[in-house]
Amino acid sequence: MTGTASRVELPSGIRQHHSAPFGRVVGSELGWVLRRPRNLLALLGLAALPVLIGTVITITGGPGGGSGLFAAVVGNGMVLPVLSLMLTQNLLLPLIIAMVAADGLAGEAANGTLRGLLLAPVGRVRLVVVKALGVLMMVLLAIGVVVLSGVLTGLLIVGGDGLVTLSGTTLPLGEALGRVALAAGWCAVQMAAVGAVALAISSTTEHSLLVLIATVGALVVFGVLEAIPSLDWLKPVLITTDWYSISDVLSDPIRTTDLLSGLWRAGCYILLGFSAAVARMATKDT
Amino acid sequence: MSGTADATEAGTATVPASGWDEPEPALCTSALRKTYGGTVAVADVDLSVPRGAVLGMLGPNGSGKTTTIRMLLGLTEPTAGSVELLGHRVPEQTGRALPFVGALVEGPGFHPFLSGRRNLLRCAAMEPALFGADVRGAVQQALERVGLAGAAERRYRSYSLGMKQRLGLAAALLVPRELVVLDEPTNGLDPAGTREVRRIIAELHANGTTVVVSSHLLSEVEATCTHAAVLQGGTLIAQGELKTLLESGGPNLLVSVSDNESGLEALRQLGVPARVEGGELRVELSGTDSPEVIAALVRAGVGVYEARRDRAGLEEIFARLTEGET
Repeated sequence: MTGTASRVELPSGIRQHHSAPFGRVVGSELGWVLRRPRNLLALLGLAALPVLIGTVITITGGPGGGSGLFAAVVGNGMVLPVLSLMLTQNLLLPLIIAMVAADGLAGEAANGTLRGLLLAPVGRVRLVVVKALGVLMMVLLAIGVVVLSGVLTGLLIVGGDGLVTLSGTTLPLGEALGRVALAAGWCAVQMAAVGAVALAISSTTEHSLLVLIATVGALVVFGVLEAIPSLDWLKPVLITTDWYSISDVLSDPIRTTDLLSGLWRAGCYILLGFSAAVARMATKDT
Repeated sequence: MSGTADATEAGTATVPASGWDEPEPALCTSALRKTYGGTVAVADVDLSVPRGAVLGMLGPNGSGKTTTIRMLLGLTEPTAGSVELLGHRVPEQTGRALPFVGALVEGPGFHPFLSGRRNLLRCAAMEPALFGADVRGAVQQALERVGLAGAAERRYRSYSLGMKQRLGLAAALLVPRELVVLDEPTNGLDPAGTREVRRIIAELHANGTTVVVSSHLLSEVEATCTHAAVLQGGTLIAQGELKTLLESGGPNLLVSVSDNESGLEALRQLGVPARVEGGELRVELSGTDSPEVIAALVRAGVGVYEARRDRAGLEEIFARLTEGET
């Protein structure tokens, strides 16, 4: 019977569809990210951090003077979520984001599961989009957890009525929450930029650890470069340049210059990182 | 792809209808080549797999079997040459062919922290052929088919090698396929598991699915395949129907006699090539036939206890083919 045309009975739907419904693929990806024990542990740890900071500051009475956010948070609970974001976005958040991005492509390649996805088939470009959405969800969740825990701790433990801005004015609670949301959104864009670059690195290797080292290592190097005065001209291209200006949302009125330039820069990183990931995946051996 | 004559044929679920009279092969490559730096992994392979065939891809480790398969499925880009998978060019149109292809390549790949069922559900979510409620049913069916239904809720981490291999098979068989590609499917399986794989391949064959199995176990191929392709050092040194390949070695007669020396002498006088092998005479039947050989032996006063025809085994053919190359 060899050599004859096959008569395999196939489901009729297969004739019209060359790929699975996008929503289902994304849903499966998000479920996969959330089922990984270490991702959940990371979120749990992030939730604990603002509680820890708030409690310590309340008990010890803060650094006692000074002008930073640490000093401002004493008796001024709504500063806590912003302070927590600023403290985590330097290393902890990028580490967690890079971890998810590393699992996304490098980890899947190492497991042999990337092959399975491509053979299903999930198109190569589509795959990067799906993976990017997975990373983005983790960015939003991580930041959401920090902010939520920060706001609750701020209200319940640190206390304070409304928000005393860094400029000395007092804002009502509603507006204060708006400022916190603004900080969270801004931070999410920065972390999305980190995620895009991490995903690009992830597409070039099958060693997850390498993705973590490269991503976090780059941020550390950026920090060092920033600290060298004669390298000031480099600052416009360093993603970390404006990261401390997240506290600008707490001045009254908001100082927008650095926040905006930070947004532009993050946008460029997102574009570059995502395109690089797509370009690499398009021809990658899996 | 187009043309009115094909419209009727397309109704019978062949993909896609070809413009030729000859049924189009499920898979064909021409001058397929892959080099890594200076190393040639696959050299100018012209492989053709007819629809409905079960092709055994044979070759020692490192002969290019897996690299060839990876190029067939669009996982690796060829350095040169072309691939047509179910009538679609690879890698440009791989996505059009892959929904009809199930594959287990380079061992099973799953996530250790998920259960067997969760892993399969994840694969099923990416299958274009499954809709809504079908997903769970297809997963359950696939699990039962490979005998994993009882261990479905256990984490993949805790699976034995054989169970992992079974789960890999289940993923390849989630939906009915036109073509199933299995790279070393019996790795790590016990004899019962190996038999089951053979049964599954036979089922697929009966349903008209084309199957490509790569293996370095010759007996496995001999037992399950209709066609064979032999790779050696990245070169395709033989391909065709298994029957033809097996007969190309020429038939032999194995005779158990009372006295090997006088038996050999008698056959030599007759001009029939023979040699002693394992305490028996192996007689080549190229210019004569069995009754003549036995009569000659008896005439010479040599007692014949047993005589049986021996088709050259795949192992022998394989040895002969690969020896010739080196």
